[in-house]
Amino acid sequence: MQKGENAMPMLNRRRLLLTVAAGGIMAAARAVPAQNKPDKLVYIGDNQGGWKRTLTEEVGPAFEKETGIKVEFTLMPPDAWQARMKAEFGSGSSGIDVAQWSVGMAGWISPHMLDHQEVLKTIEARDPSFEWSDFLTGAKLAATYDGKLSGIPYRTTTGILVYQKALLNKAGLAQAPGTFAEFEKAALALNAPPDRYAVGLMGKQGAALYSTFASWLYSAGGRLVDFKTGEIFINDDKGVTALQFIADLVVKDKVTPPEVTTWEFDEIIAGGQRDRYVMAQTFAPYMTLINDPTLSKTGGNWSADLVPGYTDKSQSRSWVDGHFLAVPKYAKNVDWSIEFIRMACSKKWQLRSMERGNAPPRGSALNDPTMAEKLGWPPTAARSIETGVPTPAHPVWTTLELTLRTGVSEALQGQKTAKEALDAVAADWQRTLRRAGIGRA
Amino acid sequence: MDASGGDATPLALVGHRSADRRAWAFRGVFERAFIAVAVLPTFAVMLCIFGIPLLFSLYLSFTGWAPGEALFSERFVGLANYQDLLTNPVFIGSLGITFCYTVATVAAQMALGLVIALLLNIDLPYMRFLRAALVIPMMITPIVGALCWKLLLEPSLGFVNYLIGQKIVWLGQPGTAMVAVWVVGIWQNTPYVALILLAGLRSLPSEPQEAAAIDGAGWRQSFWHITLPLLRPYLLVALLLRVIFEFRAFDNIYALTGGGPANATMVMSMFTYLASFVQFDFGLGAAASWIMLLISLVTCLFFIVTIRRREAV
Amino acid sequence: MAAVVGSRQMRRLQAGLVYAALIALTAIFLFPLLWVLGLSLKTRLQVFADPPLFIWWPTFENYLDVLSRSDFLLAFVNTLVVSGGAVTLSLCVGVPAAYAFARFPFAGRSLLFFALLVMRMLPPIAVLVPMYVLFSKLGLATTRLSVVLAYATFALPLVVWIMRGFFEDLPKEIEESAWIDGAGRYRAFALIVLPLARPGMVAAAILCLQLAWNDFLFAAVLTNNATQTLPVKMMSFSAGDSGVDWGGLTASGMLVILPMIIFAFMAQRHLASGLSSGAVKG
Repeated sequence: MQKGENAMPMLNRRRLLLTVAAGGIMAAARAVPAQNKPDKLVYIGDNQGGWKRTLTEEVGPAFEKETGIKVEFTLMPPDAWQARMKAEFGSGSSGIDVAQWSVGMAGWISPHMLDHQEVLKTIEARDPSFEWSDFLTGAKLAATYDGKLSGIPYRTTTGILVYQKALLNKAGLAQAPGTFAEFEKAALALNAPPDRYAVGLMGKQGAALYSTFASWLYSAGGRLVDFKTGEIFINDDKGVTALQFIADLVVKDKVTPPEVTTWEFDEIIAGGQRDRYVMAQTFAPYMTLINDPTLSKTGGNWSADLVPGYTDKSQSRSWVDGHFLAVPKYAKNVDWSIEFIRMACSKKWQLRSMERGNAPPRGSALNDPTMAEKLGWPPTAARSIETGVPTPAHPVWTTLELTLRTGVSEALQGQKTAKEALDAVAADWQRTLRRAGIGRA
Repeated sequence: MDASGGDATPLALVGHRSADRRAWAFRGVFERAFIAVAVLPTFAVMLCIFGIPLLFSLYLSFTGWAPGEALFSERFVGLANYQDLLTNPVFIGSLGITFCYTVATVAAQMALGLVIALLLNIDLPYMRFLRAALVIPMMITPIVGALCWKLLLEPSLGFVNYLIGQKIVWLGQPGTAMVAVWVVGIWQNTPYVALILLAGLRSLPSEPQEAAAIDGAGWRQSFWHITLPLLRPYLLVALLLRVIFEFRAFDNIYALTGGGPANATMVMSMFTYLASFVQFDFGLGAAASWIMLLISLVTCLFFIVTIRRREAV
Repeated sequence: MAAVVGSRQMRRLQAGLVYAALIALTAIFLFPLLWVLGLSLKTRLQVFADPPLFIWWPTFENYLDVLSRSDFLLAFVNTLVVSGGAVTLSLCVGVPAAYAFARFPFAGRSLLFFALLVMRMLPPIAVLVPMYVLFSKLGLATTRLSVVLAYATFALPLVVWIMRGFFEDLPKEIEESAWIDGAGRYRAFALIVLPLARPGMVAAAILCLQLAWNDFLFAAVLTNNATQTLPVKMMSFSAGDSGVDWGGLTASGMLVILPMIIFAFMAQRHLASGLSSGAVKG
């Protein structure tokens, strides 16, 4: 497992030798155009959130109809999905044809992916209407690590505020709260236990906890860490204020349903659909599912707005994350993988995916007036993405995030104050950064 | 370990030494090779598939971290991983949690297992069905068992909350999460203990109890002074096995809580898993596993020494 | 323990109490499974009923849905192959070794046996990653063979431990007369000893099977899509696309444990003798 060593499985080695002997030179990365058709393509991704339904139920079958190749979707829990990709790419295995990866992984996964500028050339040659310029700049930047474009953006998410407008109006509020103080006041007024609480949030000690905390952190003006110098900011007074704010909502004001500490991605959607809360800060596209009358008790009641700013609405800043579809360097059927990605990320299919819970990174889709009318959140999301802070892409972030999960969980449980929790997080981050060789000890 | 005397003690190795030696010396080389032929494959498999990885894991525990795209770094860092672990409050916490979990779970399993074994030992019709039924939790895939319990403990839809009439968020609070994990551990593995003890009870000679009954001893006295001491080897085996297995329990905690909330159920195996497969810090994971290993070894040795010392008296 | 001496009425009362206690315990132990079985027979709407439904028309749509997924059947086949392979390998390799340990006092016998026991006691997670690396280098990384080998290393000490106890129980006279008759060790072992040890082998096989069928961690790391086993497949159900896929989760869970439950019923007698033989002699 040396750096750069491509320990290809035995089968591929044999094939390579044969081809070389036959006088051809097959670059490991670039496929010969007239490639043999495989009987299936393996797509690997996570199994949360429901936004892949367009891919699995519509694009996959359409692709199969057009090309005769079945797309096998392997969708796993977030930890397992990352572990699988790391293990397979680390050993140079060719078992994955289309990899779905998200922003936080860019650092370690980028070297395993093809240069997608080249992939783009292939796509645009085949499909001039693809329009790379239609993709949001922020999404393109997030797909780039160390100067290399490593994937095609499929989904760009950000944290926005979703709320049941009618209930807010009934409580005397004409619009969504714009500052932390207004938010707390509104929550206290809207709280109606035990059937409906004021605020929903993803409180399980797991992968969603960062996005629960990050909007409030950035709106308060806080920062995480400087990956170059190793300077830690998470436990400064802005970070503490932000964490204490949401911890108070759960512990002191008790305006959240008691089960929020078991909620992750799917549960907050289900909670909204079952009318467990009035307001929540969550993934913008989740509003599609929460607001869908065929799935949700509260269908049609929801509206979207930016997350509150600390003392003024203009301070509102949120996090930006997303998923990309990419072709690994070791893939056997590069041509077909590219074709699938071209299809999935085309204007037509990405617009369609919006209706089923996705948040495409295309300006044309987000600003489409019919969609804005129908779904409500796209314009808000577009504004939020403009000023949003992308999830860190440095490889050491996965470990830092694990520790942050503990700290936030402890604060939400009321075990520690925000200051105590974040100080412990900072201490652990120092140790981690030192182990990774970043900055000063 | 070749016990010389004491053939009354169940743990003595059975052997008619001199007869064996005669038979052995009789045969030729090929026959003598029988032992090698019989034993070597086992050790070959163990050493190659288990031993080599084990040593590699030891080597890994002295290497540093490669947070980049390579799986392993080649940096030798000596005892740094161990130092980091022993100064990491989460790891130290996991030591305590694992210890509490093991003691609490094993104690409950032993007590409940003994009760069940005593009940199942009574000769009544249809016992076979009850015996078979009670074995089932043990045969179930631990992950599936834990997921079953997760459904039962669901705050709004689960049966447990329906039964007790309260809306407790079992897996969402540290205290109740610990209780939940403990209950699932007991549910799954008490049958294991019950089976061992039942086999033991059935193999006990009946004369001592009958003699005691004739002498007028009550049920309780008979139990304390005759049954339990005779059952000791089985109790000890059950105890040792359960301690080993509960110490490294992983599946049910992974499925129920993933170590949370707020690290309340972060047992050592969960910590090791997170270090290896989420952080991809294989050196740290290896160091953590070796610490677990050393603790297991010391505990086993302690057990064996205690048993032998008791036997020798 | 013999039945307590007393009048017939007392005995009836005691029998009644014993039954009551056992049935209560059985109910508590089996209830979670029955509840999940119930969930697997409900539609999505019925699952969410509040208060929970106890009487309803069962539906088999969840099972049909799960069984129609080809990857589930593939996982089932994989699990069969892997478990069968592990059991076969462990028995073939472990039983002769156990025999040698039981019958012949060779040099270092106790030490080797002790080493074997110790290997059984080590936490598997210690070797998980290195095993993955080892198999990668051998080109076996995502194959079923790697899982079979991994399970064999867990099962072997178990097999040797149990079978040694069984062999020590067998009277030596039969073999010794065979040796004297000139049968030779190998033939005596194969033709005379093995058939006698069958009950022990059944017990060992059952415990190995349980170990292999139910493992999650090693299968999760050492397999990929094509070779994954049932426990791994199960975990991918645990959070679905549009909320938790309760139907798929519970139905697949029931299907995964069904073979093992059948085994439990068929084998409970052997299990008891297997677990304890190691106890007394070890």
